[in-house]
Amino acid sequence: MSAMARTSEELDLAAQFRRGDDSAFDRIVEQHAAEVAALANRLLGWPTDVDDIVQEVFLSAFLGLRRFRGECRLRTWLFTITVNKCRSLRLRRRRPVFRAIADPEPAACLGVGGDRALMDEETFARVRRAVRALPRKCREVTVLRYLQGLETKEICELLGITANTMQVRLNRARARLREQLGDLLEDRP
Amino acid sequence: MNDERLQILLHRADDAADAPVITGVSAARIRQRIRRTRTIRVAVPLAAAAVMTVAAAILTLRKQGQPPLPQAQPERIASLEEQVKQLKTQTDATLKLVQEVLQRDRQQQRLAALEAELASIPDPVRQMQQQVDKTAFLLIYQADRLYKELNQTESAVAAYKEVIQLFPTNRWADVARERLSQIEQRQINKSDDKGEAKCEPRNV
Repeated sequence: MSAMARTSEELDLAAQFRRGDDSAFDRIVEQHAAEVAALANRLLGWPTDVDDIVQEVFLSAFLGLRRFRGECRLRTWLFTITVNKCRSLRLRRRRPVFRAIADPEPAACLGVGGDRALMDEETFARVRRAVRALPRKCREVTVLRYLQGLETKEICELLGITANTMQVRLNRARARLREQLGDLLEDRP
Repeated sequence: MNDERLQILLHRADDAADAPVITGVSAARIRQRIRRTRTIRVAVPLAAAAVMTVAAAILTLRKQGQPPLPQAQPERIASLEEQVKQLKTQTDATLKLVQEVLQRDRQQQRLAALEAELASIPDPVRQMQQQVDKTAFLLIYQADRLYKELNQTESAVAAYKEVIQLFPTNRWADVARERLSQIEQRQINKSDDKGEAKCEPRNV
């Protein structure tokens, strides 16, 4: 489906909702719940149980959908709410920030040595820890860019930042990840 | 640092994490929650107002009761008592409503907890699917390395074909097909270049 057709369908859904058609909201939840849950899960550091936050996102969407004018995609709008909800949740919980601990023996790695390319669960957990330990702004752009696969324009729209700012944050995130996961990312002779 | 490699690493770490559980998210449930919030928002101030009114009425009655009551006021007292009774009934009804709403809320929470518990029991089919997905991904990843870093085109092609053969309906099979067509295209381009070079006129 083209972007134009998608936007017009989303506008139609919002208009139907304004007219009081409940099924429009049902369809919005059906279409976007999984994506919103995946984003929330990644932004919150993979806690798995994201029921509450997804409910809160759609609750806010329900209350604000009447004001949705289609200036951006519905998905972008929902993602913006998700990012904001995740920020407030983290603030509320005031969880201690996990600092990624450098692995004393980086056994499994992406080295050229064939079989060793198979990384085990511990290595994946280490990668997730490194992402979780990123500062909020860097983590957000990393998740949106690399894991959600969003385009620069959409990320900027979503976070309300310029392309330059996004690039700076992304570079910082990469530098931090290189620090933490260098052995997994570089070729070995 | 290779950007693509970082992306692959992050994707694999994300894939290896448990998928998010969203059993309690549905449009109906969200609407129900909104209704409940609105009811509580209306009922609580109403109940508070009713309690205040009853208290004020009782105080007024007491104040009026202290001095010797004139004979002309029994009707007014009766009407005030009636009003107090009505307010009390109203307060009781509102409080009952609030309690019912809270009770329903607790039941909903219990139900959601039970549903979440039920959902946390791993689905063997899904686990198997994840395992298949992971294996297909690993094969693709290794084939990519064979082709891009070690220049072992034949082995890479064999690995891509293996993915297509083993997991024809998996999304990674589509990736393998795409890679194969890219390799094929490159080989055609190379052979075209060679052919053109051979056909060049020899100017002496």
